[in-house]
Amino acid sequence: MLGTSVKRLDGPDKVTGRAKYTFDINRPGMLYGRILRSPHPHARVVSIDLSAARRAPGVKAALVWKDPADTKNNQVMFQGEEVAAVAAVTEERAMDAARLIKVEYEVLPHVSVVQQALAGKAPEVFTGGNVKQGQTQEAGDLAAGFAAAAHTIDETYSTHVITHACMESHGTVCEWDGDKLTAWVSTQGINSARENFATALAIPQSSVRVICQYMGGGFGSKLALGAEGLICAKLAKEANAPVKLMLDRKEEHLATGNRPSAAARIKAGVTADGIITAFDAESWGTGGAGAAAGFPLPYIYRIANRRRTHKDVFINTGQQRPMRAPGHPQGSFITEIMMDELADAVKMDPIDFRLKNLPPEGPNAMWGSYLREGQTAFGWDKRHPTGDRTPGPIKTVMGAAIGTWGGGGRGPSQAHCEIASDGGVTMRIGTQDLGTGTRTLVAIVTGESLGLKPSQIKPEIGDTLYGVAGGSGGSTTAGSISPAIRIAAINALDALRAKVAPVLHAEPASLVAAGGRIHVKGDPSKGMSWADACKQIGPQPITADGDWQPGLSSVTTSGAQFAEVTVDIGTGIVKLKRILAIQDCGLVVSKLTAESQCYGGVIGSLNFAMFEDRILDRNTGLMVNPNLEWYLLAGMSDIPQIDVRLKDQAERGVIGIGEPPTVPTAAAIGLAVRNAIGVTLRSLPLTPARILQAL
Amino acid sequence: MKPFAYVNPTTEKDAVAALSPEFEKSLPIAGGQDLLARMKDYITQPDRIVNVKRALESTVTPLDGGLRIGAAVKLVDLAEHAEVARMYPAIAAAAIEVGTPQIRNQATVGGNLNQRPRCWYFRNEEFFCLKKGGNTCFSISGENQFHAILGGGPSFIVHPSSLAVPMVAYGATFRLASPGGERLVPAAEYFTLPAKNVLTENVLAPNELLTHVILPAPGNLKSGHYEVRYKASHDWPIAFATVLLVMDGTTVRSARVVMGAVAPVPWRSQPAEQALTGKTITEETAAAAADAALRDAQPLGQNAYKVQVAKTAVTRAILRAAGIQTV
Repeated sequence: MLGTSVKRLDGPDKVTGRAKYTFDINRPGMLYGRILRSPHPHARVVSIDLSAARRAPGVKAALVWKDPADTKNNQVMFQGEEVAAVAAVTEERAMDAARLIKVEYEVLPHVSVVQQALAGKAPEVFTGGNVKQGQTQEAGDLAAGFAAAAHTIDETYSTHVITHACMESHGTVCEWDGDKLTAWVSTQGINSARENFATALAIPQSSVRVICQYMGGGFGSKLALGAEGLICAKLAKEANAPVKLMLDRKEEHLATGNRPSAAARIKAGVTADGIITAFDAESWGTGGAGAAAGFPLPYIYRIANRRRTHKDVFINTGQQRPMRAPGHPQGSFITEIMMDELADAVKMDPIDFRLKNLPPEGPNAMWGSYLREGQTAFGWDKRHPTGDRTPGPIKTVMGAAIGTWGGGGRGPSQAHCEIASDGGVTMRIGTQDLGTGTRTLVAIVTGESLGLKPSQIKPEIGDTLYGVAGGSGGSTTAGSISPAIRIAAINALDALRAKVAPVLHAEPASLVAAGGRIHVKGDPSKGMSWADACKQIGPQPITADGDWQPGLSSVTTSGAQFAEVTVDIGTGIVKLKRILAIQDCGLVVSKLTAESQCYGGVIGSLNFAMFEDRILDRNTGLMVNPNLEWYLLAGMSDIPQIDVRLKDQAERGVIGIGEPPTVPTAAAIGLAVRNAIGVTLRSLPLTPARILQAL
Repeated sequence: MKPFAYVNPTTEKDAVAALSPEFEKSLPIAGGQDLLARMKDYITQPDRIVNVKRALESTVTPLDGGLRIGAAVKLVDLAEHAEVARMYPAIAAAAIEVGTPQIRNQATVGGNLNQRPRCWYFRNEEFFCLKKGGNTCFSISGENQFHAILGGGPSFIVHPSSLAVPMVAYGATFRLASPGGERLVPAAEYFTLPAKNVLTENVLAPNELLTHVILPAPGNLKSGHYEVRYKASHDWPIAFATVLLVMDGTTVRSARVVMGAVAPVPWRSQPAEQALTGKTITEETAAAAADAALRDAQPLGQNAYKVQVAKTAVTRAILRAAGIQTV
């Protein structure tokens, strides 16, 4: 059953609407919260007057979030920062009331153009400066490396800021019972949200229960509780009624995180036979107001002589939050475009060139094998050198890129298994499913351990009452909970074997659970059905616990992706034709949902390459596209054929696959475009404007 | 949202009477695909909205060898109408590209023609731009990659209607009803440049209702329509064109070339039409006509690429009209 394609257990619930997301939760007497946000990228809050809002129809609570009197904390640092909030009987009344809050701002100079900040031409907004210099990393002998180079390049590559664009917005429903809080939160970490509530509200963790049965995407932006969660809890306390506070799309774009931009001026040298001997990079990026923008560079390839310096540039926009494989899509794009330019300089095929510069192959470093496999599978031999010379305006070609990610598992991950006399099996763990298929994975691991089908297992997740487990970030959920679940199931099975053994006149240790039966190993006829075995349990169910232990999970994945595109040079429009993703993740537990993660990761990355863009008005610093009209996301007709080849490395244990597949797609597409038009686009997104400008 | 009254007239006369001479005080609603969004974003805040779905005709009827299209005809019905597709193929071609199936199931002809610009300064409450009564067009020194390359100034919006372009090309007339009676305005005169009045995009008075589109008999026309947009699923065009040809054997006797998404109004190009007249259509003559169409383009800081895209749209629309399919 491990590694087979099991349909999502919650598929029917999702498509019928039975699945309740935080957005769907309704509580008796529930009010609706609405936040008032700064319209300015940088300002001091001089005064806030809630009186008109409090008098508005249906308003039951109002609060100040940016206290003008708190001189250390009364500045707003980005458009969209939280200033005040109300709760009212309907969403519409709350929206109307929020607009009645009178806020006096002293508008301050803002910085929003990275180049201006870097050049020292922007107002000095941030304490300590708008630009923060990082440490220099170096190795080898750069001068010798350049001396040995037959060809050198000196180019600047960059990627842009995008937002997480979760389909379900951030938000919570908060309900107090005396001093106890129950919160439904759209979160990637029910246990960290619980801790966040407890700390911020100064109440014991044991007084907080967080529930998240279904959530509509997080991608890293929902790992920690946002301000909207605390605001919701406080409104609920003041109103003495449950409050639902869900953000709208504009708020999502402005104030729930983003992927920082990345840029690097790279000087690199390569020998005539294709070894990169020198790599000298100055990089920078912005993570918004006071936040970092680091990324790995160079990415994966082995370069002996290298130096890298980095600067974080602060601008008055919402702060970055981890976004699916933080740093890696940026490092991948910047490095891989350079790789093809170097390959062309020495007139080598890009894949042959990559093979010469990879680290040595190993189970956690499989790019050589995957590139060779993709070369054949994708038809790389039909690719022509840079610049498609076939007549006509439509150019077709291919690009390839690689990626890596850590993943892994860790504790605590407390799993609790119950087997009842009616044969029912419950596996309970305080983890959450952010759409990855965790519920199904729980059922597969449990079923595999007990010789049952996943449909016979009742997974219980998404509630902090179910115990402690980590947040779903870093691609660590599968690696963390699978061992814990397996151990809990085996412990429960031990207890069941002890009950069944006397009836079969066998030693407990000789019994195995397989194919829906408990029987003596090697003698299936000496056994009984699962249902009959459970009848031996008695009125109190068997219960058993398990926690994560080392040995059943590990870290580091490898992936390679190939992309084929057409470019219409009359219009600059790129159309994606095919993408192939070759990806490992250790032991494949749930094949269907693991493949889905690859589809989703590839789609996320093609959006990064082609469509998404957080666009600021250069003069006012305000976002001009805080919507889904001009913040573009691929629709059904924009998605190409995507083929996924999962490589099962069962011996490595469970690693995790949420992030790896989203890393190299943008680079592969960028390289395909380059191959098509013969001109290198060194920045994203690959809009018609950029392509026509380059031609 | 500002509270508003909602009235439900059943006749054209009552619908017109429910409007107001004051700008945006009382507004008609049919599919609501633009008006509701403007209200929710606080761009438009009427005191009253008038449901005109029953008061307006939602049928397509023959008239004098042409067609009379009720303003409440839905885009889905327009796109699928056999006579529209046969007689005015560029209108059907334009209609089927609008938005998404859900939008086309609700949106109407009248709404599509009268919708307001998509410019992100106009649509964002934070920017008090010229079109909202302010002093500044923020696109000029700001983010103008989607703004006008022809006819712009003092505002640089591009007209958002997909239907307006083929309707201008086919010589449509719009019937406008008012308390005083009715008037017929040629489509080519309906849309107005910002230089004339920056606060509106057409000649429709606040208490007038666009009730019908009247299309003349098409005659022996060859039609070509070509749209370029970035996303295939649900996006606004970067540039598009309708080209109509009246042929004399293999040469062009006369042509109509109208471009969309390049100017604040559907942009008819007489230079392009003259470049085609008397010519045989080839890739070269089509490209030369396209060059003529964009000769006077005045790009802003970030929209120079639109010139190339528009040339391609015109070229390919000409070739399609001539029955030459290259792309």
